[in-house]
Amino acid sequence: MTDFATLDIAGPIATLTMNRPDARNAMSLPLLDAMHAILDDLPSGPHVLVITGAGKSFCAGMDLKSVLGDENAPPKLLHNIAKLTTRLRNLPAVVVAKVNGAAIGGGCGLACAADVVLSHADAKLGFPEVDLGVCPAVVAPLLVRKIGAGPARNILLRGGLMSGTRAHEVCIVDELADDRDGLDTLCDSVAERLAAGGANAIAATKRLLTEIDGSGDGALAAKGADLSASVLATPEARERLSAMFRG
Amino acid sequence: MIARERIGTIERLVLSRPERRNALTPAMLDDLATHLENAADAHAVLLLGEGKAFCAGFDLDLCVGEGGDDNLRALLAGLSRCIVAMRALPCPVVLGVQGAAIAGGCALLGGGDIVIASPDAKLGYPVTRLGISPAVSAPFLRAIPDGQGRRLMLDPGLIDGRRAHETGLVHELSNEPAAHAMELTERLTAKPPHALAATKRWLNELAPADAQRGLDTSLSLVGNAESHERLASALKKT
Repeated sequence: MTDFATLDIAGPIATLTMNRPDARNAMSLPLLDAMHAILDDLPSGPHVLVITGAGKSFCAGMDLKSVLGDENAPPKLLHNIAKLTTRLRNLPAVVVAKVNGAAIGGGCGLACAADVVLSHADAKLGFPEVDLGVCPAVVAPLLVRKIGAGPARNILLRGGLMSGTRAHEVCIVDELADDRDGLDTLCDSVAERLAAGGANAIAATKRLLTEIDGSGDGALAAKGADLSASVLATPEARERLSAMFRG
Repeated sequence: MIARERIGTIERLVLSRPERRNALTPAMLDDLATHLENAADAHAVLLLGEGKAFCAGFDLDLCVGEGGDDNLRALLAGLSRCIVAMRALPCPVVLGVQGAAIAGGCALLGGGDIVIASPDAKLGYPVTRLGISPAVSAPFLRAIPDGQGRRLMLDPGLIDGRRAHETGLVHELSNEPAAHAMELTERLTAKPPHALAATKRWLNELAPADAQRGLDTSLSLVGNAESHERLASALKKT
């Protein structure tokens, strides 16, 4: 069996790679379980955690296709994603999302849960939930915190996808490389810069920021998961999604 | 003075008093609020201003002399009602803003979900120098970072569309904001209404706005000597 997520440690920098490239690293339950298992056993040494995706995509979001036939699966998946994002906020390590390619829906939300988001000009990011008849409720609190309530409203109600360049303009992406190769160089240098900080200073600062914005409390994310699940269960949403996967 | 048209499933509302840069009267705000409150069945709402300016704010001529205080109160209450109605609609509200969006005109932006403006638009709340508090729109300015909101409310200087875009008050720049806003509104009608409604409701919940508190603060200053004096002298100059 393949590992759906892997961890590499190089001194103070750990890299967690979502490893389901044939499914654009879509978040299925096994992939989420693998990520949670890695976080459970994360050694205390590294104080920078880079999250990225194997292959061409960062993460295509929640694996909607796998849950379409099973009514009980969406709430489970959504709560699992909500927990994952909350866990990242509560980690003492500074989390860097290295958005190597498509970061869609929950995948883009996962990036927004990171402390620093890096990407490249040609990456595709965004929240097409409203186009699919579903509601980006788990990711909305993360996006509101990251870029502000007004800009988040604009992006979530518009739906669709945007380029890495545009995502950088609206501040979803903090630093942008010209292309995929450039992102490796950028990420190495940012991770090294972050790693140069003291582990205690980083942990204390991050803890304070998380306390101030309330993002370490899973209640809001869990409420979002319930809301998202309830919209997914409506006939309108199910019809639209079935049609999409048939097409 | 509000032109209303239903284009397919789009409710298109236009401030239509171009000879006065769409300066707001109590009757205009009453009409606008009523149209907004009745647009719950629309798939998307578009709000525009006719002519060179989106909206120059309250018609201050109505706010001096006999009945001036009552008019100012009605304007503040009407403005608040419009902003609340935009937020309460289940469908997205898109604004196209050209030229000036000043004071009450800028406050209308707070109710919109998506604001498209021209780069050289002029925005802001230059009302404290009239002894008026822009507090009525403060609860809705939480959409932009606190520091920017404070500056905009307390400093009577105006910012241009470019700066408003940087702060998040404006979401997209266009040299043809009205046409561009219409185009976007049409695109929004391709998206399922239930998903838009659920998402908007959740966003409202994530950034709650106490409209009444803001309105009460603005109302509490109406009728004091400072604003009487300043309004009268401002209108004499023009």
